[in-house]
Amino acid sequence: MLNDTKTGQKIVIAMGIGITTLVVVTFGFYFFANPTVELFDVITVPIIIIIILTSSYIIYDRYKNIKKGLPAQDERLKLAAYKAGYYGFVAAIWSAIGSNMLSIFLFDQDLRGGLVVAAVVLVSGIVFMLSYFYFSRKGE
Amino acid sequence: MKTRIKEFRARFDYTQEDLARIIGVRRETIVFLERGKYNPSLKLAHDVAKALNTTIDELFIFEY
Repeated sequence: MLNDTKTGQKIVIAMGIGITTLVVVTFGFYFFANPTVELFDVITVPIIIIIILTSSYIIYDRYKNIKKGLPAQDERLKLAAYKAGYYGFVAAIWSAIGSNMLSIFLFDQDLRGGLVVAAVVLVSGIVFMLSYFYFSRKGE
Repeated sequence: MKTRIKEFRARFDYTQEDLARIIGVRRETIVFLERGKYNPSLKLAHDVAKALNTTIDELFIFEY
């Protein structure tokens, strides 16, 4: 796997930095292009900040370990990633159902397809990141 | 699970980071292993035992 060699680990870190930068730039362009800010945009801001902060922490943590001559990821972290992936998957399923139900309950209307997809991506992404963070700090 | 990693590590005068570097894991993994908060794979248990010149039985004490 890409993560198993030192060069691979550096590539993963570079990719992480690249993707995080792209998210920030895309987000910047989006707000520049849309002078009128809607409620959905306001809700998205803290979510994107959480994603950026968490991914920046993971990248920094990996870089710190590589600099010390230690692996960026070992079997404990891989296990944490698998567990977090499971929780992210469950969250994706429930958010697909839940977001639409919540919209009907709160606003009395169905959620547009694009918004459901956005909810699934954001919720599963956040659940994955938070649970990965939790499991990597918890130990088991 | 209890471990005697700290005790064996002291015999070799290894720091947690030294041991982590020898085995090829992160330092936090050694911390969790010493606290008994992480059940290692058989390979990792074997690697730790080998690095500390002992056996898995000597190093890890399982409580049922």
